[in-house]
Amino acid sequence: MEAQKVDMYIMSNAKFFNSNDVLTIKDRLLELDDSKWTLIQTVALKDPTTSLIVSLLAGQLGIDRFMIGDTGKGVGKLLTCGGFGIWTIVDWFSIQSATRKKNMEKLLPFLH
Amino acid sequence: MNSIKNVKFEANDEDSEKASNSYLMSLVVVIVGLPLPIINLIATFVFFLSNRKENYFVRWHCTQALLSQLTLFFVNSYSIWWTLSIFFGGEKFSNNYFAYLFIALFFNIIELITTIYSAIQTRKGIHVEWWFFSSLTNLICKP
Repeated sequence: MEAQKVDMYIMSNAKFFNSNDVLTIKDRLLELDDSKWTLIQTVALKDPTTSLIVSLLAGQLGIDRFMIGDTGKGVGKLLTCGGFGIWTIVDWFSIQSATRKKNMEKLLPFLH
Repeated sequence: MNSIKNVKFEANDEDSEKASNSYLMSLVVVIVGLPLPIINLIATFVFFLSNRKENYFVRWHCTQALLSQLTLFFVNSYSIWWTLSIFFGGEKFSNNYFAYLFIALFFNIIELITTIYSAIQTRKGIHVEWWFFSSLTNLICKP
């Protein structure tokens, strides 16, 4: 893939990934065929800041976990009223990192 | 209870954020779970579990936060138990009770100040070692 395209992708999407994953993504994208560019652009990435806001407002019901695609943990949170409040607080501090990890998991299949 | 020793440690921005969060979270949970010390311990333990696969810097600080909460849990639980037994169990207020209560309060205040300081410093990527807890953490947490 063209370096210019890759740089553009990294510039506009770096905030969705962990900083140590960005270099891996860049290297993989450079090796990829141009035909995959459209597919990669269609991957719906979740904003870590949005998931933090959702976690603060609706973390008790597990909406934040549902939003990032962690359905199992979302159901667990919903049934236990946010892990009796404890899980909700823990998630306030870890949901951004979890969102970045999920984004990477979503993108990975397209990078091969 | 704690004294602080700064040691140079390399960590990127996200690592320092996660390490700082382990202390910050124990502060927030103190406010929420003030009457029940076990809540602090559970929350810190859950955060520790969720970060157990992270790099050494993050794991180290999560472990240090967990160990300090574990110590406070025993101190605070005993003071709550003693207070409840005075109000409901027929025991009387004694000098020993007040001495223990003041020591427990002193421990809590020192822990609170140290936690705030550690949260600020680790956010800057500075490795903060507490007296006693750092040695325990070094034994438990291996690179």
